[in-house]
Amino acid sequence: MIAVDGLAKAFGAKREIRAVDEVTFDAPDGAITGLLGPNGAGKTTLLRMLATLIVPDAGRASVNGLDIVAERDAVRRRIGVLSDARGLYTRLTARENVRYFGELYGVAPKLVATRTEALFHTLGLSALADRRVQGFSQGERMKVAIARALIHDPPVIMLDEPTNGLDIMSVRALREQLRALRADGKCLLFSSHVMQEVAALCDSIVILGRGRVVAQGTAPELVAQSGAATLEDAFVALLGSGEGLAA
Amino acid sequence: MTRILAIAKKEIVDASRDRRTVLTTVVSAALAGPIFLMLIFSLLANQAEKTRALELAVVGAEHAPALVDFLARQQVTVKPAPADYEARIRAGDLDSTLVIDGEFEKDVAEGRAGTVRLVFDRSRDRAQASIAEAESLLRAYDRSWGRARLTLRGIAPSVGAPLEIREVNLATPRQSGALVLFLVAFYGLFATIIGGMAFALDATAGERERASLEPLLTTPATPLEIAIGKWICLALFVLAIVVITLGGFYLTLSYAPLPAVGVPFLFSLRDLARFVAALAPLVALMPAVLLWLGSRGRSIREAQANAQLLLFVASLVPTAQMFLQRKEPWWLIFVPVSGQYTLLNRVLRGDGLPLLDFAQSAGLPLALTVVALVLFARNWSREAVLAGK
Repeated sequence: MIAVDGLAKAFGAKREIRAVDEVTFDAPDGAITGLLGPNGAGKTTLLRMLATLIVPDAGRASVNGLDIVAERDAVRRRIGVLSDARGLYTRLTARENVRYFGELYGVAPKLVATRTEALFHTLGLSALADRRVQGFSQGERMKVAIARALIHDPPVIMLDEPTNGLDIMSVRALREQLRALRADGKCLLFSSHVMQEVAALCDSIVILGRGRVVAQGTAPELVAQSGAATLEDAFVALLGSGEGLAA
Repeated sequence: MTRILAIAKKEIVDASRDRRTVLTTVVSAALAGPIFLMLIFSLLANQAEKTRALELAVVGAEHAPALVDFLARQQVTVKPAPADYEARIRAGDLDSTLVIDGEFEKDVAEGRAGTVRLVFDRSRDRAQASIAEAESLLRAYDRSWGRARLTLRGIAPSVGAPLEIREVNLATPRQSGALVLFLVAFYGLFATIIGGMAFALDATAGERERASLEPLLTTPATPLEIAIGKWICLALFVLAIVVITLGGFYLTLSYAPLPAVGVPFLFSLRDLARFVAALAPLVALMPAVLLWLGSRGRSIREAQANAQLLLFVASLVPTAQMFLQRKEPWWLIFVPVSGQYTLLNRVLRGDGLPLLDFAQSAGLPLALTVVALVLFARNWSREAVLAGK
C-alpha cells in the first residue's frame, strides 16, 4: 500500500511553482486508486516522487511501510512504474526490452523468461515477442511497456496516464489487465485527466487541482459530497471549473 | 556488478543492431589506411621519379660545354631541345628548356657574366619539381664556378657568399617516412574519437530523445552503474575501431603493392601492438568524455555540436605538434592526446614503448575518465534531466 502524508514539491528559481502542495491520501492493496485532475494538476510530479525519481521538499510517503527517501532502493524493488515517458529501445525485440529490465531488477533469468511468457500471453503480445519494437503501433508499444514495468512482479504499481494515445480496443485490454492485477491483491495507483476513465476503473478517487487534494472518496461519496447529480458535475463543482474535462 | 554487465550487454546488442552506423564507422576506419597510403606513396613516387631522372632540353649546348658536362655529372640527361619548345612547354609536354646564349663563351672570356635562360611555365604543377631541380643545379654551378675564381685569387669563398642555405626537401625518403608515420599516428588518435561518437550520443542524448531514460532511472540501477555499463560497451567498440584502423595501415604497408619510394619504414605487428597500447588511455578517456557530453544534450542534435568541438580540438593537437619544430617541453607527455602522440612518435622512431613514458602518458587520461563518468552520472542524477522529452 501507499501512504502519502503532506507531500510537497515546488519548482522554479524561487520555488514559486508549487507543483504538489501538501498532498495526503492512502492507496490500499487490492484496490485501484485513481488520481484525477486536469493537466498541470501535479499528477506526474506526485508520481515521480513516489517512484523515487525526485525528492520531496516536505512531507513523507511510504510504500509498504518503506520510506521513499530513506529506503529508496528497497522502494524501487517493490514498485512497477509506467511513467509518462515510456520509450522503448526500438532496435531490441519486445522480449529483449522486457528482459533488460528484468536483469536490472535482479530477477533470475529463468523467472524472467517464464514471467515474460505469461505477461505476453495475457497482453496478447506472444506473436510479436521476437520482433523488433521499431515497427510496433502505439498500442503494442504500450503493452511492451506494461510488461516491462511488471517483470519484477511488484506489489505496488503506478501508472501515469496509461491510456494516452491508445485506441478503444487497447484501452479495454488495459482495463482488463489492471482488474486482474487488483484481483491478485496489488496496490494500483492510476493517474488520468479523463474522468470517465477513472470512473470506470477506480475503487476510490483522489481529485487533484493545482497541486492540492480537492476531494477524495468513492464515486458515490464524491457525488454526495458535492451535492451534484453525476460524477462529472461533482468533478466540475469540486474543481470550481470545467477545465481539463475534455478527453 | 551484474547490473553493470547487463547494461553493457544491452548496449552492445543495441549498438550492433544499428547496421548503418556500424557499417560506415567500420568501413571508413578500415579504408583510411589503404586510401591515404596509396595517395601519399604515388605522390612521393612521382616526385622522386622527377628528381631522380631529370631530363633537360638544351638549346645551344655547344656554347657552354663546361656547364653541360657539369649537368651530365649531376645525372641530368641533356638532350637537344625541339624547335617548338615554347609551344610544347605551354602545352605541358615539356617541363622546361635551358637556352644558352650564343655570346656565352665570348662574354665569359671577356669577364662579363654569361647568360642562360631557363624557360618554363610556373603554372604547371607537375613540372614544379623538375623546374626547381634545374634551377638549383644552375645555381649550384654558378656558385662553384664563383668559388673557384675566388679561391684562385686567394679569397675565402664565404666572403662572397656569407649566407649558406641548406634546403630540407620533404620528398627525401626519411622525411616522407615521417609524413607516413604522422598519418598513422593521426588516424589512430582520430579513431579513438570518431569510432565512438555516434554510439555515445545515441546511448545518452538518444535515451532522452526516445523517452526511455525515465523508465531506466526508475529501476534499481544507479546513474553511476548506467554510466559505467555504457562506457564498457563504448570502450570495447572504440578499441575495435582503433585496431581496425591501425590494422588497415599495417596490412597496406606490409602487403599492398605500393610503389617503391625508398621509405625506410617498417610497421611490424609488434609496433601495431605497441600503438594500440599507447592509445589505450585514450580508448578509455574519449568514450567517457563523449558520454558526458552526450548526457548534457536533450537531443542527439544538441549533443552533436559539443562532440564535434572535442573532435576539432583533439585533431588540432597532433597537427600543431608536427609543425612545431622546437623540442617538446617535458610536460607534454602528461597531456592527453599530446602524450599519446609523443609516445606514438617514439614507437615509430624505434624506441619501443618505455614503461615510464607510458605510465606518465596514461595517468591523466585515466583520472579524467573517472571524472567524466562521475560527471555523466551526476548529470543523470539531477531532477532536471526528467524535464522535457
